[in-house]
Amino acid sequence: MRTACILIPHFPVAIERADNPSLRGRPVVIGEAFDGRNTVLDCSPEAEAQGVRVGMPLRQALALSSEAVFLTPNPSRYREVADAVLDALEAISPEVEEQEQGHAYLNAEGLTGHYREELDLGEAIVRSVRAASGLDASVGIAEGRFPAWAAAVTSSTSEVCVVPSSKEREFLAPLAVSLLPCDLDTLRRLDLLGLRSIGDFAALPPGPVQAQFGGEGRRLWELAQGRDSEPLRPRRREACLTERLRFAEPVVTEEALLVGCRRMLIRLHSRLQGRSARRMRLRAELWGGRSWERIVVFREPTGDCDRMLFIVKSVLAAVQLPGPIDELGIELSGLTGEKGKQATMFGEKAGLRRQLDEAVRQLKARWGRPLVSHVVEVEPWSRIPERRHALIDYDS
Amino acid sequence: MRNKTAERRLNEPRPIEVIADGSGEPLAVVLGGRRLAVEQVQDRWRIDGEWWRERPTSRFYYQLELVDGRTVVVYEDLVQGRWYAQKYA
Repeated sequence: MRTACILIPHFPVAIERADNPSLRGRPVVIGEAFDGRNTVLDCSPEAEAQGVRVGMPLRQALALSSEAVFLTPNPSRYREVADAVLDALEAISPEVEEQEQGHAYLNAEGLTGHYREELDLGEAIVRSVRAASGLDASVGIAEGRFPAWAAAVTSSTSEVCVVPSSKEREFLAPLAVSLLPCDLDTLRRLDLLGLRSIGDFAALPPGPVQAQFGGEGRRLWELAQGRDSEPLRPRRREACLTERLRFAEPVVTEEALLVGCRRMLIRLHSRLQGRSARRMRLRAELWGGRSWERIVVFREPTGDCDRMLFIVKSVLAAVQLPGPIDELGIELSGLTGEKGKQATMFGEKAGLRRQLDEAVRQLKARWGRPLVSHVVEVEPWSRIPERRHALIDYDS
Repeated sequence: MRNKTAERRLNEPRPIEVIADGSGEPLAVVLGGRRLAVEQVQDRWRIDGEWWRERPTSRFYYQLELVDGRTVVVYEDLVQGRWYAQKYA
């Protein structure tokens, strides 16, 4: 499938710089300084040049780049811009998947009626992203996700790279093998084997690759051939309930926040009309224009006001609030259709099954894709072993 | 109707490196980067695909006992000329 990959490098830093042009050209480090993790969330290329890396402890980043501007994240603003970008992309093609903020895939199949060439499509994407967010994106168009991503990541911002159909392998061949999506250990082993480019790796026969690197090696080998059949998972618009509360004066005490949360949860409880929610997003607009948020996935769906308040209390107790709060918001999503919980007359087994079904749905809600499968007989009589059984998603 | 992407086959054959003699009989297999000699061929059988399939299937299976005591089942794909390992019960 012809796929376009849209990349906005260093997405959080790009937004901070668009909002505050004085940060341009200076090393910028965005870190989670207030939730106990204290790690670098993103950094500018200038900070990277000084050795700062994403995931590094902030203290280490400070030692490496003492003149950098250190910022706390502004998650609500990042989400708002990411959504604006996705909306703009969905105006071009209805199938758009967000891999992460600032990194999306678009189904470019069948758009040739609208655009003379794929290059025109790519340029239209760059223009739309800029109009929606003020940010510059690089765009790669190729057959499948990995070649499209490689085309985008090796292009400069605002540049479009189109890889013609069936030329994916030739395009990937000279690129560094470190672009393959594998862990550091695999990369080290590839290096020890003297494999520097994707072409070196693609030239190996698949059997020895699989014998050396297992199933993951086989997948990497397929990617190196320019073959990536992983389908797009378009974003789904999900029903959610939101309540916001703006304080007359910025609030700093946990007690005042809990009173505000309780008021919002009571309103949400009545709007739930007996249904339950699987996820809660707790959001705060901070004094000074920054924001803070936490997402909690409930162990089991709940619509119980006291239980949700207890969870909010636990979240607030575990974090050090980054500053006075102007506005608080709670969003409930993953709403269940049923309004009650059916009791069972028939012992443990049915209850266990229901718990299992629920646990599977929770996992799906948490990770966005099915993670549990079960075995079904397809052609149990077949003499060809792989035709006998298959794995299907648990909830299929 | 089942979602096509949600279904994955079980027990897919895995490519394997097999060293065979002139008649095609396995002499050694490479497992985890180690070459292991075949101690004995415990069984051999041939499977030819069902005639109604689009893609022809022709495989020669060997159940091998390796020098380290392990038993593996490998087959030569007679259409592609490649070797694969696969559990067979």
